[in-house]
Amino acid sequence: MAVGNAWIGTVLRVDLTTGTWGTEPLRMKDANDFVGARGLGTKYFCDECDPNVEPLSVENKLIYMTGPLTGTAATSAGRFEVVAKAPLTGTIGAANSGGHFGPELKFAGYDGIIFEGGADHPVYLYINDDRIELRDATHLWGKDVHKTTDMLIEECGNVRVSCIGPTGERGCLFSAIMNEKNRAAGRGGLGAVMGVKNLKAVVVRGTGPVKVARPEGFLRELTKARAIIQAHPVTGTGMAAYGTQILMNILNEVGALPLCNGRGGSIFDHADEISGEKLSETYLVKNQGCFGCSIACGRVTRIPDDSPYAGFGEGPEYEAGWSFGADCQVDDLAAVCKANFICNEYGMDPITLGATIACAMELSEMGAIPESDIGFPLRFGDSDAVVRLTKMCAEGEGFGKLLELGSYRMAEHYGHAELSMSVKKQEMPAYDARAIQGIALEYATSNRGGCHVRGYMIAPEVLGLPIKTDPLVTEGKGSLLKTFQDLTALCDSVGICLFTTFGMGLPEIAGQYREAVGSDESDEDILLKGERIWNLEKRFNMAAGVEKDTLPPRLLREALPSGPAKGKVAELQTMLADYYEVRGWTSEGEPTDEKLEQLSLG
Amino acid sequence: MKVKFFATYRQIANCKDFEIEAPADVLGLLKVLCRRWPEFSNKIVAPDGESLGADAIVLVNGRHIQHLDGVRTSLANGDTVTLLPLVAGG
Repeated sequence: MAVGNAWIGTVLRVDLTTGTWGTEPLRMKDANDFVGARGLGTKYFCDECDPNVEPLSVENKLIYMTGPLTGTAATSAGRFEVVAKAPLTGTIGAANSGGHFGPELKFAGYDGIIFEGGADHPVYLYINDDRIELRDATHLWGKDVHKTTDMLIEECGNVRVSCIGPTGERGCLFSAIMNEKNRAAGRGGLGAVMGVKNLKAVVVRGTGPVKVARPEGFLRELTKARAIIQAHPVTGTGMAAYGTQILMNILNEVGALPLCNGRGGSIFDHADEISGEKLSETYLVKNQGCFGCSIACGRVTRIPDDSPYAGFGEGPEYEAGWSFGADCQVDDLAAVCKANFICNEYGMDPITLGATIACAMELSEMGAIPESDIGFPLRFGDSDAVVRLTKMCAEGEGFGKLLELGSYRMAEHYGHAELSMSVKKQEMPAYDARAIQGIALEYATSNRGGCHVRGYMIAPEVLGLPIKTDPLVTEGKGSLLKTFQDLTALCDSVGICLFTTFGMGLPEIAGQYREAVGSDESDEDILLKGERIWNLEKRFNMAAGVEKDTLPPRLLREALPSGPAKGKVAELQTMLADYYEVRGWTSEGEPTDEKLEQLSLG
Repeated sequence: MKVKFFATYRQIANCKDFEIEAPADVLGLLKVLCRRWPEFSNKIVAPDGESLGADAIVLVNGRHIQHLDGVRTSLANGDTVTLLPLVAGG
């Protein structure tokens, strides 16, 4: 029963080892202190799980957590988080997804689900309001995400499905948890945590309400926020028209498109061929939105039947467009789409896979990988090879068994770990850290390894949102990044989409949050919760023995050979010192006792 | 010099790029573009006629003009100017 402060007030705990489950009250103090979704899921995880737990063991817990705004009428409030220790990085693993699954979970009467242990055979969790069953999933094991989803809808009726594909079952270190076929809790390999537990899927149908604390105030705040979102050129019309792929050309123009695994400069002559503009002219069927979202940035795409890459699905997003395209020197948009379709169908993170293929291309060209290991010649620019390797990885075939370890472990296998373009073993996405200094700092300090969406510095450094800063300078980036990281932690935790922050900011997030949960905290008090979440994640990583904040040596030593950022390397050390000081941490990057005390984490 | 258009500005210009004799500065170029394609008028130049439109991005040789001399950034033949509306992604 909804408690009336945007929370349901109930967490479902499932012991997969014994096949039993029960409900318990949501820990309201923690919900207040850590907001929800990413923050609250991480708090539960840190309280219940040893930081040194082996990620691919049944002792690793897996937590689905919604936010207070998830499932409400707030702006783009369809988000939820999955939390576990990440197999790819060994860091806290928190992956955010949209669609409709998160709201449906709350409608069913649960703020979150905590999975413990592991089943002795494949199972799926069936939730239909207060009816809960652990059902046999033997018939689904080995099936891809799309087939699994279709079969579960056939079996269970009008339900939302979150599931893994064969890659998650097999332990691929960047396997995703997919919901509604093409939405992904994508990074860090959380699909493999689900796989090791023999948990194939979570199926949910809910019919209950989500009640907010102060309906009139909530309506006032969301109306204001929606007006801002709809009037803004990016969130109002731009993202619906072109999707995230619109970034391809501008990142190329500013000389920040990583090419050839970071080896090949930063200007791709064929960027327009794989751009958002090109996608809109060719394979775009329609745009699509998640629960309660007016931005509707999703791309539904179709490659015609007469193409060798024929297919139908969603995407690519900009990051996948870059990883399978520019990073591999592939200018065939159909091939890029096909590789992305395969990722969705088999449940893989396309950022890590595309970057791992680019790394393999460089190693192959320098003779570090024998052709016999791959099975065919591998060079940059080969679109067929990208699709073929994507399929091999999806099916765990041949060289695909090495690809599914990610670029760090694959490159290490061939004696060249330094050529993995990763941080804490997770591949960096589509922005060259030498051309955008603040994103270099973000990659190095992200609590889940190389990642852009923990503090999206591209917004101020390239796009001018909400202010324009120079991407080539380091001054002030520590402070700016801290603000972005804390605000993002808050945004991820309330349960709304990060893309709303292209149009709105802290006042609109805090305003909706306050009225939904019935709080009278100031904007600053609410932002402080984001900082608390960041420090909680950091403290977990330290206890888990995660390596210190740095970047691949290539980005620190090899200057960009051309383009607007010609001659630049990532000037990390200067920015790190500034950043640690702004965070109130030691010069070694560790939160001080005083800082932890201030954040009530002592 | 070369002028390149992206996103909806490409639709307004109905071309990806074109060559032009370099005006003295960016503002001069923007005014040329507004005369050639009137639909640009309320987009790339602010109502005061002397500054950049609020939702426009202009790069000169890949550098945002805010980090150069703004609309007074001088131009020369051989330069590349990129114009696009405010966009985002990730």
